[in-house]
Amino acid sequence: MMKFVREEYTVDGVKTVLHAAGSGDPVVVFHGAGTVDGFDYAESWAERFRVIVPFHPGFGQSGDDPTFTDMHDYVMHYLGLFETLGIDRVRLVGISLGGWLAAQFASEHNDRVTKLVLIAPAGMIDPVHPPLDILSTPGEQVVGMLVSNFEVLKSKLPEKPGIDFIADRYREATTVARLWWEHPFDPKFVRHLKRVKMPTMIVWGDEDKITPVEQTALWQQHIPNADIRVFKGAGHLVHLEKPEAVDAILEFLA
Amino acid sequence: MSADYRFNAMYFLPYIHLPRNHKQFKSTWVDFPNKFYDPEKGYKLYKRYLKELVLADRLGFDAIVVNEHHNTVYSMMATPNIIAAAVLPQIKKAKICVWGVPPNFMLPNRLAEEYAILDVMSKGRLEVAFPLGTGMEYWSNPVNPATARERFKESLQIILQAWKEDGPTTYYGKYYTYRFLNPWPRPYQKPHPPCYIVGTGSPETIEVAAELGFGYSSVFVPQERTYELNQQLRDRAAHFGHTMRPDQLPLLTYVYVAETQEKAEQEYIVHLQRFFEDYARSTPQWLAPPGYISIEQLKIRAAGADKLHGGFDFNAVSKSFFVAVGTPEKVANQLGEWAIKAGTNHFNNVMHVADMPHSKTVQNLSLFANEVMPRLRSAVTQ
Repeated sequence: MMKFVREEYTVDGVKTVLHAAGSGDPVVVFHGAGTVDGFDYAESWAERFRVIVPFHPGFGQSGDDPTFTDMHDYVMHYLGLFETLGIDRVRLVGISLGGWLAAQFASEHNDRVTKLVLIAPAGMIDPVHPPLDILSTPGEQVVGMLVSNFEVLKSKLPEKPGIDFIADRYREATTVARLWWEHPFDPKFVRHLKRVKMPTMIVWGDEDKITPVEQTALWQQHIPNADIRVFKGAGHLVHLEKPEAVDAILEFLA
Repeated sequence: MSADYRFNAMYFLPYIHLPRNHKQFKSTWVDFPNKFYDPEKGYKLYKRYLKELVLADRLGFDAIVVNEHHNTVYSMMATPNIIAAAVLPQIKKAKICVWGVPPNFMLPNRLAEEYAILDVMSKGRLEVAFPLGTGMEYWSNPVNPATARERFKESLQIILQAWKEDGPTTYYGKYYTYRFLNPWPRPYQKPHPPCYIVGTGSPETIEVAAELGFGYSSVFVPQERTYELNQQLRDRAAHFGHTMRPDQLPLLTYVYVAETQEKAEQEYIVHLQRFFEDYARSTPQWLAPPGYISIEQLKIRAAGADKLHGGFDFNAVSKSFFVAVGTPEKVANQLGEWAIKAGTNHFNNVMHVADMPHSKTVQNLSLFANEVMPRLRSAVTQ
C-alpha cells in the first residue's frame, strides 16, 4: 500500500495541509464535516493515481479562516490550491460536506473536472428525506450514526474523548456553523447542478442515517448521467464500511 | 464605600408549573416542549410578578431589573421591554433596568428606539445592559453563534451612533446597512442611558465593556473569580482611559431574609435548589453552540465540567456564588463584606427564585427593604 506524505502550503494566507501518495493523474479527495474518518481508504487509489487529500480550512491540520461563510469560499480556496500545485484538470472525490463542495466545484468549473465521485453528498434539498441536522444533534450521537457497523470507526476514535479531541470537534463544528447555521441549504447550488456534465458516480450506503439514501432520486434528476451505486448494509461512511465501494470508485476513476 | 449603596430587585419571571415528569428532560431550555405552558397559569403569574415588582418600588428598592431569555421555564420575559413598559406606569421612584435585550436578536435601530421610548416614558430612569445572550438563545433564535461576537460589536456601534450622533447618519457594516440611521425618539438621558455589558467574565466581553466605558454585570461567576474579574475590569477600563466606578460593577446576589437563620434556610433552600437543578438545567451542548466560545474557553469549560458532577449542595453553592440567607443582620453583614471585596456599592439582588411562593417573596422583599437596606446604609453614613 502507498503511504501518504504530509505537505504544507499557504493558500491566500491560510495554512493548508494535505496528505498525498502515489503518482499519475491527480485525484483530489474532499473530506466531510468531520475528519475522524481519516483517509486510509484512499490508499489503494494511490496505486494508480496521485491521490491528494487536503484538510479544508477550519478542519484537521489546516488553519482557520473565519471569513469562509459559504461553499463558494471553499471553491475559491481550492482554485488557489490547485494553482499552487499546478493542477489543471482533476478527478474529484467528495464525501458528505465534501460531496457538496466537489459538486459545486464541478458545476462552476466543469471544464477542469474530468470525473466526479460523490459519496453520500450533502447539499440536496429534499424536504421529504431531510438530512440529519448535525449541528443540533449531540456529537456523541452523530458518531454512532455515521456507520452501520461501529467496529470500522471504533479504532479511529479515542476510548474516552479527552479535552483536545472535544476541542478539535468543537472547532470543526464551528467551521460548519459558519457555513450552515443560518443557511443549511443553498437553492442556487441545486439549480446549477445541471452544469455537472462530466462522468459522475454517486455512492451511497442504504442504511445512511445522516443523508438518507432516498435522496439519490433527486441527485439522479439533477445529474441525469450519474451512475448511482447503493451498497447494502452500509451507513454514511460507506467508504469505510465497504471495500467493494472503494474498488468501484477506483474502477470508475480509471 | 465612598458612595451610597444601591439595591436592585432582580426578577426572572419563571414559569413555575413544571410538569411532574420534567426530570425526564435533560434541559428546561431550548427544546423543553412548550405544550407544558398553560396561558391561564401564565396570566396569573404575570399579575403576581408585576404586583411584586411594584411592591419592590414601594418598599424602596432603587431599581427593578428585568432581562431576556427564550424557550425556557426559567423566564417568561422573552421580550423584557414589554415587561418594563408594563411596570413603568405603576412604579414611582425606582429605576427600570433592562439588563437586557441581546442586540443580536433585534434590529439595532429598533433596540435603540425601544430603549429610548422607555427612557423618555420614565423621564430618564432607564438603565440598559447588552448581553451577548446565553448559548441557549442561539439555538432558539436564527442567529449564527459563530459570528455572534462580531455581530454584537457591530450592533453596539450602531446603537451608540444612533444615540450619540444627530441623525440622519449612515452605517455600512458587515451585518447591517443603514442609509438613514435617524431613530425617533431619542433617549431622555444624554447622551444615552447608563450602559452595562452582561457576561460571565470571558476576555472578549471584558474588553468590550472596558473600551466603551460601560459597567459590567457578571452572572454565574463564582466569588473569587468575581473579585479578579472586577480588578481586571478596573485595569482594562483604565487602559482605555475610563474609570470603572463601584456602581458600574453590580454584584449579582441571591438573598433571602427571615426572622431567624433556621427559618430562612428552611424556607429558601428548596427553591434555590430547584433554581439550579430544574430552572437553570441545560446541557453542555446548549450552553456552547458551535463558535459561541473560543477553543481556549471551551477547554477551560470542559476541564471544569468534570468538577460539576454530584447533586445540589447548599453549602458549596453558598460558598461559590453570592448567596446570603438568614437574619437581616447576617445578610447585611454578608453583603457589606462582599461589597468591600468586590469593590462595589451596587447589589443586583435576585429576590425571587424558581417556585418561591408569593408569601415568601413578599416577606423577603419587605424584610430586605425594611431591615437589611437601612443597616447597610447607616453603616455607610457612620
